[in-house]
Amino acid sequence: MNAQMASLHDFRNTLHGLGDNLGIEDMPDEERVSRAKKTFLRKLDGRKAVDLDTCLQCGMCAEACHFFEATQDERYSPVYKFRPLRRFYRREMSPMRWLYRPFTRDIGVEDFEEWQHLVYDACTGCGRCDMMCPMGINISTLIRVMREGLAAAGYMPPELQALRNEQRDQNTLFGVGKEQLKALVDKLRTENVNVPLDREQADVMLLTTAVEVSLFPDALAASARILNKTGVDWTIRSNAFEAANVGLISGDDPTLNLAIKRIVEEAKSCGVKTLLLPESGHAYQAMRWEAANEMGEALSFDVLSMPEYMSSEIQAGRIKLKAQSNGASVTYHDPCRLSRKSGVMQQPRDVLAALGLDIRETDANGRENYCCGGGCGEYVLKSATSLRQKAFEIKRREFDETGADAVVTGCANCRINLLIGADNSGWQTPVKSLVETVAASLAD
Amino acid sequence: MTLLEFASGPALQWSLWIFVFGVTWRIVGAVFLMAKKDLSRARHKKNLSDGVRTMLSRSIPAHAFEKRIRFQHISGYAWHLALFVSVLFFAPHILFFESLLGFSWPHLPNTIILFTAAIATGVLIALLIRRATHHVQRFISNADDYISIVVVLVPLITGILAFAHIGGRYETLLAIHLLSVEAMFIWFPFGKLMHTAMTFPSRYQAGTSFGRRGVKA
Amino acid sequence: MRKDQTLGDYLRLQGVSRRGFLKYCSATASLMALPPSAVAQVAEALATARRPSVIWLSFQECTGCTESLTRSHAPTVESLIFDAISLDYHHTLQAAAGHGAEAARMAAMEENAGKYLLVVDGSIPDGNNGYSTIAGISNLEMLKETAANAFAIIAVGTCAAFGGLPHANPNPTGAVAVSDIIKDKPIINVSGCPPIPVVITGVLAHFLTFGTIPQLDALGRPAAFFGQNIHDRCYRRPFYERGQYAETFDDEGARKGWCLYKLGCKGPTTYNACATLKWNEGTSFPIQSGHGCIGCSEPNFWDKGGFYNPISAGLWGSRDALLGAAAAGAALGVGSAMAARARKKKAQAAEEV
Repeated sequence: MNAQMASLHDFRNTLHGLGDNLGIEDMPDEERVSRAKKTFLRKLDGRKAVDLDTCLQCGMCAEACHFFEATQDERYSPVYKFRPLRRFYRREMSPMRWLYRPFTRDIGVEDFEEWQHLVYDACTGCGRCDMMCPMGINISTLIRVMREGLAAAGYMPPELQALRNEQRDQNTLFGVGKEQLKALVDKLRTENVNVPLDREQADVMLLTTAVEVSLFPDALAASARILNKTGVDWTIRSNAFEAANVGLISGDDPTLNLAIKRIVEEAKSCGVKTLLLPESGHAYQAMRWEAANEMGEALSFDVLSMPEYMSSEIQAGRIKLKAQSNGASVTYHDPCRLSRKSGVMQQPRDVLAALGLDIRETDANGRENYCCGGGCGEYVLKSATSLRQKAFEIKRREFDETGADAVVTGCANCRINLLIGADNSGWQTPVKSLVETVAASLAD
Repeated sequence: MTLLEFASGPALQWSLWIFVFGVTWRIVGAVFLMAKKDLSRARHKKNLSDGVRTMLSRSIPAHAFEKRIRFQHISGYAWHLALFVSVLFFAPHILFFESLLGFSWPHLPNTIILFTAAIATGVLIALLIRRATHHVQRFISNADDYISIVVVLVPLITGILAFAHIGGRYETLLAIHLLSVEAMFIWFPFGKLMHTAMTFPSRYQAGTSFGRRGVKA
Repeated sequence: MRKDQTLGDYLRLQGVSRRGFLKYCSATASLMALPPSAVAQVAEALATARRPSVIWLSFQECTGCTESLTRSHAPTVESLIFDAISLDYHHTLQAAAGHGAEAARMAAMEENAGKYLLVVDGSIPDGNNGYSTIAGISNLEMLKETAANAFAIIAVGTCAAFGGLPHANPNPTGAVAVSDIIKDKPIINVSGCPPIPVVITGVLAHFLTFGTIPQLDALGRPAAFFGQNIHDRCYRRPFYERGQYAETFDDEGARKGWCLYKLGCKGPTTYNACATLKWNEGTSFPIQSGHGCIGCSEPNFWDKGGFYNPISAGLWGSRDALLGAAAAGAALGVGSAMAARARKKKAQAAEEV
């Protein structure tokens, strides 16, 4: 296997070993229940109440979920995944709670035991169920609230606990911190790729991820080359360079808030007008849609993803590309949190078109796209391995039907998951990064 | 007081009061929980059109989903439409609504109504059977789901029987039909039938929350 | 008719031929849903019947029942039958008055004890008995007294059968039906406001023939005449089925003779023989004349929402009360949400700490 795959396998094995010394967090059962309930109480509001009260129990959401499709296991119906939350709502917050209480079982530890697998292993928060529901219920958000309640009750899977602890307490991830970033930046400089580190003031602040630094340094190099080509005034700040937000994927609110705060404060301190996110779905979601609410005020800067940035720069003529004339075909895998959940669907396609590539769409694309199965922390969970692989088979079938020469994606987590899935099943089609593809075609 | 006098008198009065009281209670109580304003920058400011579009477009499944849910989708809408035609366009029903609302609308011939009522009944029974036998629906369903179906099915069946004068004296059939409708009114605010009132607000929400992110939900 | 004459003698004297008499017996038998074999029995019984004594008490009534039964432009066999009974007491028809009339009643009761028929029309005020008295005797007293030795009671008209108009909301006199007072005698309710003439004579004919009261429905009415509803025998039924209704009394639908459901016709819930036997010797009935059935042979027909209110409009109460219910619901909704939000706020504050 090639070097990249080898390091990917190492990476995954490290991940799976992360939680070896951890288990369910130790606390009395009553406290578990009380913490979960307080979390639910804080998170439920009028919008979620309308959603919870509208469910028809039609079960169509199951038909949208890749995990259900791959296994036909009824427990993976999205509606079932937030069942205890609905029981809580009916007992404690619904307008008719006094009438429902005698008929609704209280939530308890047995629910946390059963639902840990369902909301962590069997849900990537992809939102496909949100698109399917005939009632327009935002199911993935409700499942996320479930996850947050379970996390509060001590049922965060050990791998995520380890990562959460690391990000929260050490401000690093996978052991990647300031030093590792600096080392990479120095190495890139020797390859003539200039990454302006820790400038006092800049217009654009780029983020990167531990995944890029340790697994996909070419992606960081590509972003740097592209930014340098546009002549924009940019920097990476070593105090807050990590885009990934373990708080979001693990359901830990304080860490979600902390990771966001670090970035926002750093961005404000160097007066940036634009925060630029690397190839990552959940990281974009955290900064673009959740940061302002976590900070309690609108952000003083724009938040852009690399695909958005590249598309507008290409259109403005500040990035010139060498068109591919070999008639190569690609299919774009929409990262759920970037496409369906953030609306960045047309821009990556515009970029690919500008490259002269023949774009072949999968049958389910754009807002209907199938999840790669690895987002939202899935790929770190040992217990989710077989489910992830089954989900990959769905993607593989879709990709094969397009007959495309390669798969391009705009999220490093999707990239990891697709690569691992391909490797496990002997699938040969290359999986590429959008920024790397663009950087490779930059006209000099 | 005869059964019919009871059914079209106090029973109707009380059941309508409970209906109106309960529905208002539940909708206001849910919406009034309020939600914090979203401080992130929306991609555009077209909330109303986003919300209204999704209120309507959700009735059309997206391409990738359509073939997977075709039976449920078609039979669901078929029985709902057949029910609405039977309830809203049958002349004696329109007279009832007129006594309630003060205005009326044109009616359809009774034979068409009989046809749509039969379709609604048949398809609803098929869906009831599906709910009890399909592996996903059987697993996720609870008492509320079954009661809500039965409480709509009985008025349909008793309505057809009363209309066709089958099964007893007309006043008794009519009284039973009215009582079954009143039972539905009483159950309505407390069970799943409330989706009638919640569907459009929920779809609207989906439209605006995704729409502001640039996604046509 | 002299007291010792039979009914057969009397009819012959009046010029009714044997053939005509038998035709009447056939018609009566078929009206009563008796088999053809019963005709001979009816004929034999009627021909040899002695004049039965009939005491007719009129209480809170409008005399419409008497008018219906006795008014005819041409003599009919029905009216002759009626003449043929020994009507020993009847306010409108009797010649006597005052004490003489009351004495006649007491004498008839004594002479025919256990054998006379008591016919009652009008309701009985069971509230303040002073509302309706005859010769100083309250209706209630007179009814009880006269019913004591009667063979059977025929309650003619909806007032006697169910309370009728006086019984309508708010029923100031406390009007009740005969069957509310008398519990120990067979009562035949011949309801209608007024009843169809041939129905009463059909009942009488049955009584004269078989000496018993005919088969009654759940409301005590002769099933032969009150067993089917108007709707099922109405000649306008096809228009109901097709959904063609008259919307006003002078629109196109009304002129074309369409169904009168929307104009308040109570045909579907009214049991009587109007649609088949009709009125004025088969001339017409209300629906044929363009007015919906008012349901006059049913109990409480005055309080069934109004003659022009369609059956499906319901008898329910005020619309404003619904607004009140909505306001109450909204209040409870706001209250429950505020309580939940208070707890949410507390949980949020605890988290920040």
